Amino acid sequence: MTLAAVAAVALLVLAAILAAVLAGQMRRAAGLQLQLDAAADELQRLQEACSRLAPAGVVQRLLTDSSGSGTEPTAERKVVTALFADLVGYTAMSERLEPAVLARVLNGYFQRMSDAIHEHRGHVSTFLGDGILAYFGALQPNPWQCNDAVHAALAMRAAMREYNVELAREGLPPLSVGIGLHRGPGLAGLVGSRERTEYAFVGRTVNLAARVQALTRTHGVDILVTDALRVELDSRFVLKAMPAEPVKGIAEPVVTYAVLEMAAAPHDARQRFGV
Amino acid sequence: MTLDHVAWEAPLLERQPDRALEAYARRKMGLANPAITCFSPVPWLARALVDLHPEFGMLMHLDEHVADLAMLVVSQENSCRFCYAAVRILLWAQGMSRPRIERMEQDLARADLPPRTMAALAFARSQSRSGPAGARAAREALQRAGVGADEMKELAFAVAATDFANRVHTIPAVPVRPLERLPDRLHIRLLRPLLGLIVSRHRYRGQATALHDVPAAPYARLVRACAGLPVAPALARTLSEMWASPHLARRCKLLMLAVIARGLGCAGCEGEVAEALQAEGLPAATLVQILTHLDAPELDPVERLLVPFARDTIWFEPALIQRRARALRDQLTLPQFLEAIGVASLANGLCRMSAVVLDCA
Repeated sequence: MTLAAVAAVALLVLAAILAAVLAGQMRRAAGLQLQLDAAADELQRLQEACSRLAPAGVVQRLLTDSSGSGTEPTAERKVVTALFADLVGYTAMSERLEPAVLARVLNGYFQRMSDAIHEHRGHVSTFLGDGILAYFGALQPNPWQCNDAVHAALAMRAAMREYNVELAREGLPPLSVGIGLHRGPGLAGLVGSRERTEYAFVGRTVNLAARVQALTRTHGVDILVTDALRVELDSRFVLKAMPAEPVKGIAEPVVTYAVLEMAAAPHDARQRFGV
Repeated sequence: MTLDHVAWEAPLLERQPDRALEAYARRKMGLANPAITCFSPVPWLARALVDLHPEFGMLMHLDEHVADLAMLVVSQENSCRFCYAAVRILLWAQGMSRPRIERMEQDLARADLPPRTMAALAFARSQSRSGPAGARAAREALQRAGVGADEMKELAFAVAATDFANRVHTIPAVPVRPLERLPDRLHIRLLRPLLGLIVSRHRYRGQATALHDVPAAPYARLVRACAGLPVAPALARTLSEMWASPHLARRCKLLMLAVIARGLGCAGCEGEVAEALQAEGLPAATLVQILTHLDAPELDPVERLLVPFARDTIWFEPALIQRRARALRDQLTLPQFLEAIGVASLANGLCRMSAVVLDCA
């Protein structure tokens, strides 16, 4: 065998080894790419799942803010309208119904109320037992937040009526909801511990909305707004003034107005406040 | 990351055959926007989609790559599946591999890009997300990153033009699937080098352009502030054609602009529009009533529909606004409907741009 032939064989062997190594690397790269794609798909699914737990915008903001600068996401001072809704007679109902039926009834209630809130540009912050806390104007600036919130409350009332027709068909007891609304300043942003963070609005506004919601039972009405919210409302909302009532944690008795309906034409002050 | 998960309604518009428009788009951009003929009943709107595209002669100072990324970020923020897919195809046709585009999208939120690019992307995101409320902080961040005044104006324009295009394509639910799947088609993959060649041959840098005619109506100050840049005559022409278009009354268009300025919290823009409305004979008290409650007895039936619609275009989720637009379409003529989309979309872009360029929020 000549030297040239030996060199050729050696080159062939070398080429074969290189080809085998290259093929191995390509297989490995393809495997890694598959893993990367699977991870990306998983991330996408997680993000979609997160969107069900918090507004999609908040999830996106959490992802970009926390990975962008490496700093803590900041909270902003804002004037927001808080809506607090609570089922009337939930405790009695929970004692009468099977847990599975109760859960189905509650889910139907939450879905319909959330849809009404979302349709009017609010976002549900949290479900508290049978209660719902929602904000208007917290995620984006919204100069029409008061009207939006009251429209949402009226839509919730209408949705509740429709839901009660469905429940009656199934022989289930009707539900009723009390809704309290208040507008005021606070701090909007991501709050919580290192392990768990949520988008929240911190301040007296939320407490007062919850207190006003409790007053719906005192006054025997379903939707109550505070004076701070009332002054911002469209004159077509028909309101009825309620007697001032003391509430826990607030020094002065709170003046509230029951929301009766939305009229087609603007009302004068006498009709509007029912005095 | 894709926007496949973003809900998108069935299309509200059909393509109208318009060879002249398609030829104009091809001449200017190389490849015609497949949805462009949906807008042909309102010529100013269709032309604006071509003329205001940042990559075709609009930019003198801003780096093209940064402009591409800014357009991608804004389209992502606005969840515009059409524009997002279009920018991705543009990058892909120019030779960027799909994995690299995906990596780049993931990198958009990370700090491994040059600081000036990061500042530009943060600005783009802030303008789409917060609008004028975040304009001053975003502007200061750009200045700290060493971005010059003209470059900043062009960046604000690129963001505004994308905000405009995003709304024009999202509100009527322009079909997105064909565009999203385009790179998967064999013949398109084979033609990719040719597509890249066509696109890159048509993309060109802008040149200093004299501004001859400034429309007298709102946003004239913005146009003047951009004088010398190619952006200025393009905006002036679009605004002039928009005002001259007969499908909606001038007062109706002004009211839409006023609502959007109020919703975005730009006091300077709102003041400019309010002056124009007073010149139209609208009493100040009526304007206050309209801007406070989005309604007033003095509104005519079309205005009563379009004043609340304008507010819906400020912050939106695609499927929700598409459902509302469907209800609106059934109450208007097609040209009225398209013009309403165009006016609202343009106002959203220009108001955000004014807040940055004129610092008037």
